[in-house]
Amino acid sequence: MNNRKKPSVGSFKYHVGISSLSEIASREDRVCVLNILGGESSVVTPISHTYSGGNVVFGTAPGKAGQVLSTPGGDIPVYNSVLEGLEAGHHFNCGVVYLPPLAARDGVAELIRVNPDLRKIFIITEKISAHDAREIRAMGQQHGVDIFGANGLGVADSWSQVRIGGALGGDNPADALRPGSIAIFSNSGGFSTTITQYLRMAGWGTSTVISSGKDVYIQYAAPEFAYALGNDERSKAAVLYCEPGGYYELDADFTKPVVACVVGRWKSKLTRAVGHAGAMAGESDDAIAKERWFMERFGVDGVFTPDDPHFSSKGALVTNIAHIPAALTAVMKANGIRPDFEPEGNLALKAWFGSDQGISLHPELMVPVVEAVSPYNEQITQLNKQIGIVFPRQALKDASGASQMDPLSQVSSLYGVSMLQAAQQPLESNVCLALIRESGGAREQQLINVAVASFVNLYGTPELAAAQASRDAGNAPNAVLAAALGIIGPRRQERARSAVSILIDCLADARLTDPFDRNFKILGIDQARVKELLTEQLDRRAEELMVGLEERGVMPVAVQWLKNLGHPSYDAVLAAITTSLAWGALMRKRISRVTVENLPWWIQLFGVLIGASTDASQHQEHEFCGVSNRSLLRDRSLTEIAYLALLNRVPSPADLFAFQTLTGLLLTNGPGSISAQGAKGAVSADGPEIPQRVQLNKALIGFLSHCGYTHGGNGYEGIAFLVDQFRGSGLTDPGAKEYQVNVKALAAQAVERYASYKSKCKSVGVEVARVPGVNHPVFKGKPVNYDPREVFMADLFESRGEINIFHDFYRELVQALYEAGVTRDVYCVNVDAVIAALLLKMVWQPMARGEINEQELETAAFTIFLYPRMLGCAAEIDDHINRGKNMDTRTPASRCSFVV
Amino acid sequence: MQITGMLHGARLLELVGFPATEVLGPDATEQDIKSMLGRHGQIFIKPVFKGGVGKKGKAGLVGKAKDLKSVLLEKERLYFACHESGHQQVKANGVTFEAGVPAEHEIYFSITDSTRFRAPTMTLTHLGGVDIEDVDKENVAVIPFDPLTGLKAFVVANALTSIGAPKEVISPLVQQLPKLWELFHGFGMTTLELNPIRMQIDRNGRLSPVACDFKCSFDRDDPRWMRLGIPPQVFAADYSDFEQEINSLRTHQGQSDVYVINANGTVLAPTFGGGANSLVTEMLGDDAIISTDFGGNPPYSKMKEVARICFNHWLAQANVLFIIGGKSNNTDIYETFRAMADALREYFSEHGPTPLYVVLGRGGPNLVRGMGTLRDTCDALGLPYRFFGFDSDISEVIHYAKKADLWMKSGGRGQVARRLGLPACEV
Repeated sequence: MNNRKKPSVGSFKYHVGISSLSEIASREDRVCVLNILGGESSVVTPISHTYSGGNVVFGTAPGKAGQVLSTPGGDIPVYNSVLEGLEAGHHFNCGVVYLPPLAARDGVAELIRVNPDLRKIFIITEKISAHDAREIRAMGQQHGVDIFGANGLGVADSWSQVRIGGALGGDNPADALRPGSIAIFSNSGGFSTTITQYLRMAGWGTSTVISSGKDVYIQYAAPEFAYALGNDERSKAAVLYCEPGGYYELDADFTKPVVACVVGRWKSKLTRAVGHAGAMAGESDDAIAKERWFMERFGVDGVFTPDDPHFSSKGALVTNIAHIPAALTAVMKANGIRPDFEPEGNLALKAWFGSDQGISLHPELMVPVVEAVSPYNEQITQLNKQIGIVFPRQALKDASGASQMDPLSQVSSLYGVSMLQAAQQPLESNVCLALIRESGGAREQQLINVAVASFVNLYGTPELAAAQASRDAGNAPNAVLAAALGIIGPRRQERARSAVSILIDCLADARLTDPFDRNFKILGIDQARVKELLTEQLDRRAEELMVGLEERGVMPVAVQWLKNLGHPSYDAVLAAITTSLAWGALMRKRISRVTVENLPWWIQLFGVLIGASTDASQHQEHEFCGVSNRSLLRDRSLTEIAYLALLNRVPSPADLFAFQTLTGLLLTNGPGSISAQGAKGAVSADGPEIPQRVQLNKALIGFLSHCGYTHGGNGYEGIAFLVDQFRGSGLTDPGAKEYQVNVKALAAQAVERYASYKSKCKSVGVEVARVPGVNHPVFKGKPVNYDPREVFMADLFESRGEINIFHDFYRELVQALYEAGVTRDVYCVNVDAVIAALLLKMVWQPMARGEINEQELETAAFTIFLYPRMLGCAAEIDDHINRGKNMDTRTPASRCSFVV
Repeated sequence: MQITGMLHGARLLELVGFPATEVLGPDATEQDIKSMLGRHGQIFIKPVFKGGVGKKGKAGLVGKAKDLKSVLLEKERLYFACHESGHQQVKANGVTFEAGVPAEHEIYFSITDSTRFRAPTMTLTHLGGVDIEDVDKENVAVIPFDPLTGLKAFVVANALTSIGAPKEVISPLVQQLPKLWELFHGFGMTTLELNPIRMQIDRNGRLSPVACDFKCSFDRDDPRWMRLGIPPQVFAADYSDFEQEINSLRTHQGQSDVYVINANGTVLAPTFGGGANSLVTEMLGDDAIISTDFGGNPPYSKMKEVARICFNHWLAQANVLFIIGGKSNNTDIYETFRAMADALREYFSEHGPTPLYVVLGRGGPNLVRGMGTLRDTCDALGLPYRFFGFDSDISEVIHYAKKADLWMKSGGRGQVARRLGLPACEV
């Protein structure tokens, strides 16, 4: 039991044991840390211990005796209790308390009672109750122990290089604590280091720095600090940072110059403490009162600011910590004292990072980004070498960073672009959206057109043979395409991937910003690296690609550069095209490097999928679906090529628009759709945490295997329904401005048939099949219901002056169903009806001519779903690769159920 | 966390056996009131405010009546009374009916922690019933005492003697007042004030103290107050929904103190450190939505949750997201910024983009990694930003944030919205 009270110094009415600041943290002090293995201590104590030359003799952690805390300055032994440590032969005079708030008081009691040599305690713990703080104060006073804190960061001595307690000076104390003549006493732990840093800018170093804490009880407070400052030969002046609440500063008797920073006038409006529990004040100890105390003490009549410097040789009052260095310099000058060393910098605004994002900011906001001080500048340089974004990983089961569906409007979006917007863009634009998360402009679309076109003609390839074999075996289009894609494995793209990697490095080193800047010169590239991009002989396919680009008037810097180097390989040109396509998004950190490295593979997969969707007979050595390879590369858009593949005929402008609309509408239906789930599951199973191992072709097969006659193939239901209604009607042109048939009458007949069918079903108790394309689980219940997507499409086509009799028929049908009493209200025409109407309009005439039979129509209806959904699922796959975790789509057994 | 008035005060005093005047709550029937009038002759009618509202008497918000009709009239007047104190206005919801206690002497008594003595301190005068500041200091005893032994009878006796209190009040007060230490220290209070304690004459002609008004504050860092079983709604008025949500995360690891300054403000400033909080709150003034201290090295999960709540409540109206602090000692900048960046990204995912200018001023461990994470997020979301190092004057950084707010208000928000592809109606 420690009952011996230590001698007090000074003329205080209470115990103070420290006569000089130099005694607060000395090289002779030996430290015991309570809860040394706790989260905060285990990070901070090793740094303190090492900085202080190994001053921690042991620590405690109940139940963990025998362990050690490893530090660069050697291991620190851990005991169950203070007594055990002492019995093991250790001696210490300082205790550091890192215990949780409810245990801190007992820790203080333990330190005091079992160690007669104890002189100082430093309490780091925050949120200690006032109840415990009062008892801690009383215990310290009874036994003559000086206590610092609580809720402080301990103390540090720049001269002795000793830090006791918390993390003053951060993770590298020597960075902040340069020896000098200024002592710091701060209510704020954060500001104790910040002020130290600011002082160095003006040439002032520090002696002792104390983070006092700002609880109601400040155990070591301003009066004791003032006394110890007076007796410290090293300290010529002090900086005090104080906040409202408490009379500590009023009783401090300073005998050396002081700059006092009082912050918190505004806090008088608060009705409870934020941050510092003790920073609540009454009228007589608020910020204004404290300012007055200091002004009277210093004999000044105002607050010091650089523009209006009120100060005396006794000190100055500031209300902004940034004014401390100037105020201190002025006060010290009045005392004939110069700074400790040359100023280390200035406090001007220095932006280390910044971006205007292309917005025209106010000139005052356009603070230039400057090089940071060492060592931060080197760190930033390293950071900037990272190209593209790195997404945080998370479980992506039923979640997506690519797509979402608005549950209210049922409109899905991909990377923020709604399907209604996407429907107004050509397919090649939506390829950009899926792959680089931005709808491409005209140049990007041309890059896509050329690159994908180079893969669609599969003449003589195993993938075409596989697809045809699958088709001949009676498979649905999804299975046919899966057979082809299975062959486009990782080895098919590894050279292009490698070329992308080289190109990214080269273009980044060359600091390329605009990939189409004709005046940009790629210089200083390591020639050894580019060898891989070239071939000895002219690569014919590469040449065709480049001619295709030239013909379309797009020649990216990277392709031109390759061309100038010699004979680039086909893979290198493809890589240059895709890298140019992605460069802007990559540089803006919209996409990751992994995404860009995958692009050639995606392009190949898209080309093969579109190509394989048409019969093998349509693939000839020099032409595809009757269009020459040359034309594919030089003239045709991807939208046209896809239309060709789907229907084996060249589209009219109206057909092309309808086709683009259809593909845009069908891009995605959010991460919950079965197709997306299949794609995401395939990625999850491969393990996205090693993204290079994810097989993109297999992931697309995952999408394909998760489509079928009811998901994707169901579009045919609507078409079949329409065909039934219009069969024998005499309709030849569904887009004729004047209807060729009486739509209203046709609708009435359809309703009559349906009513009769419904009645029969009811009479025999058979489930009634619904009319495809009408009604929706969300858009229902009103007297007249609308699917907003259908309304949008109707308005869009109306604005173009286009008629679609099938669509109009549907609108008549829902009205007729209501008028005949078949439905309770006017059902909506849903988006599936629009899709059916659009597709049927495209094929109605060929069908009438016998060029397309019903089987082919059904295949086309399924395939037109697969084209755009391929893009949507590619986006899901890429997103999952970038953000997902291994096996994150699995369902825990606890959430699965067994059904008997 | 304050309690004022006898409705709950009488129950707390009962815990330590300190006499208190009889009190009926808002649900008292006319029969109850009539019966109380019969026993005591006079009733005080006081409005019930949630939280700490003082000086009701001075504001004319204490009624006095000797018959039922007058009691009911006062009840009607005071039931929804408004009380203004400084910039705060509160509305009553109910009244209490407190029995009048005839007495010659009125005592003022309080215990609080004094920063002058750094000890619990009793303030006592026999000239109570008025504001303590209005009593001549010679008649007021301010006596610190040892918390390890508590408020002892001799401390009270000496204090009363020192201020010349009438002899007849000394003995009963010496017997009763020490009990209040148990209430103060044992249930996590930071202030306990009884004013007045009226010295009632009992049947034997002896005086006995009866508390006639009550005020106390609780320490929210001390769980002892929970032993009192006070209904949570008593303190609910102290906190907004936002503050209550954040407070639910309050643990000793990492600060999570928040205060809503201006629910219509336009600068959302997650602030790190008590010192930075003072400076930022001071300089932003009413532009700030909230005053915060999120320092203390919060772990990723807590920081993300705090940021999520802040964003959910305030991001839509904010022009500037201003992340600010000094050079941290221990707070891992990477962890805190990563958490906020993720929360920001998730907010945009869930609610769609919102026009925002991001300003940051900070220093500390893993600073560049932290700034890098936030930079990537701002770039990905298309938000303009400037990040300042710790070598920039923090007050200038605050000025910069204010300028950004001003620019956003004068057309910048529309520009950022267009950059984000938002329709004009969502600016």
